[in-house]
Amino acid sequence: MNLPATPADLIPFLFAVITSHTFIQIILFPGFIHVTLVTAFLTWYERKIIARIQLRIGPLYAGGPGGILQPIADGVKLIFKEVMIPYKADKPLFLAIPLALVVMAALPFAVIPFGQNWVIANLDVGLVFVFAMISLFPLMILIFAWASNSKYPFLGGLRSLFQQVAYEIPMWISALSIVMLAGSLSLVDIVNAQARIWFIIPAFLSFIVFFISVMAELERLPFDLPTAEPELVAGWFTESSGAIFMLQFLALYMKMYLMSSLVTVLFLGGWWGPAFLPQPVWFIIKTLIVATFIIIPRAVFARIRVDMLIRIGWTRLLIVALVNVFLTVLLITSGLTAILGM
Amino acid sequence: MALNPWLTVIIWAIVVIALTGPMLTLPMFWSRRKPDPFRDMPFESGQVPQGEARHRLVMQYYPYLLMFVAFDVVGMFLFAWGMSFTKIPLYASFPVLLFLFLLAAPLGYALHLALRRENW
Repeated sequence: MNLPATPADLIPFLFAVITSHTFIQIILFPGFIHVTLVTAFLTWYERKIIARIQLRIGPLYAGGPGGILQPIADGVKLIFKEVMIPYKADKPLFLAIPLALVVMAALPFAVIPFGQNWVIANLDVGLVFVFAMISLFPLMILIFAWASNSKYPFLGGLRSLFQQVAYEIPMWISALSIVMLAGSLSLVDIVNAQARIWFIIPAFLSFIVFFISVMAELERLPFDLPTAEPELVAGWFTESSGAIFMLQFLALYMKMYLMSSLVTVLFLGGWWGPAFLPQPVWFIIKTLIVATFIIIPRAVFARIRVDMLIRIGWTRLLIVALVNVFLTVLLITSGLTAILGM
Repeated sequence: MALNPWLTVIIWAIVVIALTGPMLTLPMFWSRRKPDPFRDMPFESGQVPQGEARHRLVMQYYPYLLMFVAFDVVGMFLFAWGMSFTKIPLYASFPVLLFLFLLAAPLGYALHLALRRENW
């Protein structure tokens, strides 16, 4: 389908877009409704898991089995609350950045393959696209913190940008060995290369590095320095309330779902699984298992300091990731990958 | 009939903005908005805010920031190499591997400097 050449072609073009298979995918399954539903589920799931670890019951009274309608109650509450804007804040930025955060968290879902044909856009640079989008996150957080013109958010935003220095390079280098094994940057090709053997087996070191970097990227405990409650009240969203807080919360949990699915794509074989379940179901099961392992440390570990985080990032994670790159070079040149059928 | 993937990404972005934008703009209309000088103060643990929020801070961990600038670029170039690693002959990869080995020496020295606490 070509872009419209004249204004008269615009109406048929838009009609063709809206009735296309891709547009239905954008709205329904790998698209918006699915992403928001799973994100809402994740907020309930996290509270429930942490409650179980701490011997509490967790959300219960909002309806459904185990209070599963709690996210709807939260959303209705937040959407009717007053939006408070600090009087010294930069209003346009303060309102625009939460929306930008949601868009930035949702855009990479276009390239995540939930099944052989369940992908919105099979970009040939999909992995770089995902990394580019999530690299913008700390910058957006700093802009929001600067716009709110308050001390605690500003410190949190600076910490968020600084944390990126610690985790980003190890994350890229550990994904590099996957790119070498698959020989492609397209996420569909990367999953197709794992039809026989998942990449967690030949690249186990890089799985560990990538998972820890993802924890730091999502600002989960033990790496939640930008939102450290005892030191910075609520970190970079101290000043946000009502709908602004809801959008930020949505963006954070959407990013958690995104990074869990990225771990599934890169290391856990994506949609591959026994044939008695459809491909997207396998993908979502694996993603929820990864998300569970991302959630559990919040109830278990204590927060680490800034200097400890940056030291871990540069002296442990980066070295291990580089070692894994050399191991991958040896693995490919020795012909072991050909024997394993990769 | 297949759309260009980049066009699809743009349509996806438009759909996301169109569906999440109302979540931000609609509460502006129906939520109670009554200006209150005390409620609209920046939060400082219940105290009256003092001084400027956008103050200057001490630049810490400077060696790490320098290393980040260097490795950011290196990381991107390594992606271009890693993607074509199985497609190019092995001798074409030797300069990159040699470069990675050479990189380890300054990295070790920089980490040695950075780990000395007085050198932050």
